[in-house]
Amino acid sequence: MPDILLDLSSVTIRFGGLTAVSSVSITVREGELVGLIGPNGAGKTTVFNMVTGVYQPTEGSIHLGGRSLAKLKPFQITDLGIARTFQNIRLFPSLTVYDNVRVAFHRHLQNHSLQSLIRSSNFEEEEANLKARTVELLTLFNLQRVQDEPAKSLSYGDQRRLEILRALATKPRLLLLDEPAAGMNSSEKTELLTLIRFIRDTFDLAILLVEHDMKVVMGICERIHVLEYGRKIAEGTPSAIRADPKVIAAYLGDN
Amino acid sequence: MTEFLQQLLNGISLGAIYALIALGYTMVYGVLRFINFAHSDVFMIGSYVGWFALQRFQFQQPSFLGGITVLTLDMAVCALLGVLIEKLAYKPLRNRSTLTVLITAIGVSLLIQNLAQNQKFGFGPNPKAFPPLFPSKQLQFGDLTLSTNQLAVPIVTLGLLAILYWIVHCTRTGTAMRALSFNATAASLVGINNDRIISFTFALGSSLAGAGGVLYAMNYPSIDPLMGTMPGLKAFVAAVLGGIGNLPGAALGGVLIGLVETFVSGTRLSTFRDAIAFAILIAILLFRPAGLLGKLKVEKV
Amino acid sequence: MVPPKSQRLLIATLAIAALISAFSGRIDAYLLDVALGAGISIVLASSLNLINGFTGQFSLGHAGFMAVGAYASAMLTTTLAPKLMGQTELLQWVVFPLSLVAGGLLSALVGVAVGAPSLRLKGDYLAIVTLGFGEIIKVILQNLDAVGGARGLTGIHTHTSLFWVFGSAAVTVYVVWSLLNSTFGRGFVAVADDEVAAEAMGLNSTHYKITAFVVGSFFAGVAGGLYAHLKGYLNPSGFSFDKSIEIVVMVILGGMGRHSGVIVAAVLLTALTEVLRSFGNYRMIVYSVLLIILMLTRPQGLFIWPLKKRKST
Repeated sequence: MPDILLDLSSVTIRFGGLTAVSSVSITVREGELVGLIGPNGAGKTTVFNMVTGVYQPTEGSIHLGGRSLAKLKPFQITDLGIARTFQNIRLFPSLTVYDNVRVAFHRHLQNHSLQSLIRSSNFEEEEANLKARTVELLTLFNLQRVQDEPAKSLSYGDQRRLEILRALATKPRLLLLDEPAAGMNSSEKTELLTLIRFIRDTFDLAILLVEHDMKVVMGICERIHVLEYGRKIAEGTPSAIRADPKVIAAYLGDN
Repeated sequence: MTEFLQQLLNGISLGAIYALIALGYTMVYGVLRFINFAHSDVFMIGSYVGWFALQRFQFQQPSFLGGITVLTLDMAVCALLGVLIEKLAYKPLRNRSTLTVLITAIGVSLLIQNLAQNQKFGFGPNPKAFPPLFPSKQLQFGDLTLSTNQLAVPIVTLGLLAILYWIVHCTRTGTAMRALSFNATAASLVGINNDRIISFTFALGSSLAGAGGVLYAMNYPSIDPLMGTMPGLKAFVAAVLGGIGNLPGAALGGVLIGLVETFVSGTRLSTFRDAIAFAILIAILLFRPAGLLGKLKVEKV
Repeated sequence: MVPPKSQRLLIATLAIAALISAFSGRIDAYLLDVALGAGISIVLASSLNLINGFTGQFSLGHAGFMAVGAYASAMLTTTLAPKLMGQTELLQWVVFPLSLVAGGLLSALVGVAVGAPSLRLKGDYLAIVTLGFGEIIKVILQNLDAVGGARGLTGIHTHTSLFWVFGSAAVTVYVVWSLLNSTFGRGFVAVADDEVAAEAMGLNSTHYKITAFVVGSFFAGVAGGLYAHLKGYLNPSGFSFDKSIEIVVMVILGGMGRHSGVIVAAVLLTALTEVLRSFGNYRMIVYSVLLIILMLTRPQGLFIWPLKKRKST
């Protein structure tokens, strides 16, 4: 069995008096595709925000490949190899599609502020190199056709895909996708499923997927965690989850 | 000891005026989330309106009733001015970026100041002496000498605060104001006329600034078109100190700033008096960005 | 090796500035004065554009940074240097440029001191802190007897020439442009667009904001030095809130985050100030009305070019 990559152990977070997530433990192994589901307000996005350092858990610990993520800032966590997308797409709207991806290569950059003033041959070489890699990525997702457009002018579906691509440019070991299928119709969803599988196979990474749509999750994930009211109520394979009475109750109501 | 009590009273008196101005900043910030830079100029206009009123009525002897009349008239004029500024300059900018509104507010402030300085359209650049508003009497408590004017400021302020509290907490309009500051979209969904409430908020805040202008002029009896800037900035600091958007916080912050400033004035550091408020501001934003009474909001991601 | 195009452009501009400067004696004195003022405005506006335009911060304290640079460089050339080396030709050609850099460095240092703690603040909070900082600088200068206090500092040598002004302007524009046009540099705009997303992409937003503040305040300091050695005297009240606003308006007029637009706006506004001078007392009234109308009708700036397709080089 592959090693554990992400390990959330009894993680709790409180906002004032409200316990948004209570003693949740989740693991993701190298190369695994894991789903995180639950009704609205169950705390799924909050889990993402804790993993990426936007919030600090009140109790419990989060480790990536054995390294604690406590007190790290979001950009430091990205440096360690976690990348994410957002529920309500957060691109850099005034940058071009090309620059949106290019800027995400930042963590692999050798040359910084001073070099961009001196513009040595070394610097120019790296910039040219990055350009090639950016275009290569864009082509992979068929976004090179709009690469010089500002990101805000893209169609909704393209914006979603660009956001995933931008996350991939940071070369993550773990990719967090926050409701990637939101607002998509069923044929777009089918396309998305293919895309996610393709990403996992091509980029050699693990994926943790928050999703509302059962079809998407069931069709793709190897293992699923279910949250309700900030607590984990079930964990298992898609077929086990589908049969779990607690999950059925959570989604359909008790009566 | 006498010295201390004297300074304490001076500080509270100055602080009460800062509190009156700070309430306007904090209320507008509550409903619109921006700093109304022109607020300090409403304060300045307030003292000029008071000056004109006192000139016009030519009181032989300042009377208590006359003073209250001038104050009320003054508050009404400033309320109108506040609504006018909002309608003309800020309303067309609803839903634009904070930056755009902020710069517009700075523009409005510059415009009022420069119009006021103009000899033809305004009051001219020279300071004017402010006549007595209330009958003044010296009271003697042992070694301590008090003028009734010094007492008038905190008393009038307390009265105004009581009225404000009643409006905000016991009237429908006040409830709507509070609803709006919680969530503007939700407020409009439940049938609150946001534009009307915003205008009302400006009227309320501006009338308090107007009262502050008259009271300030009464104690520092010289007024000029640029007099609003410094008290305005300090009142803003007071609002942040108390927790912006928080009404009791603004009042508390105002009194604290007034006290600190008065006591610093009595020391060798007196020439740095104007810098102190900003030093407090920077310190508070570093250590308690939500202010003394404010609650920190968690940004939703 | 041939240097990149941007550097060739910089060298060419410097050469032209030197050439024109050599013949500046033949230029009408009034025109020369306006041109020098415009050049200093370019330095101020381009450097503030990095902070307010590209990085999306809102500083209202640029005049404060300018004051730090102005006083520091003026003290170096008028008090310290003559004491050490007497009156020599070196003053104009060696000490003066060094004093500009020193003024810039001190200003940048103050920039870090102000920036580092206050950069967690957003939008109008940052605006008010920087405004407050500008006022504090003014009050401190008014109370420092060593620099003349409220009376001001007089007897500064007038070393500022066309070469130094437009040379500095060219360097400022080059630095801001080069910083922005790199993979690292797109990060400034990313931080301005969406800080949370930028952090999630591994960009250290604090680092970007501080870099912007340091570089921006450095050049504000240089502009201050140029200004001091142009006018020959300094007064703390010359670096008030109004001056900061003037620079902010240049940046907005030029379209925040546009290199050439802001340069044009800096020149235009300097010229406008001269034109409005004949209006006397009405100058500031016209100015503020223009500002309000501009915000109501064209908050994106005067010159709106269609979004240029950026070649991916």
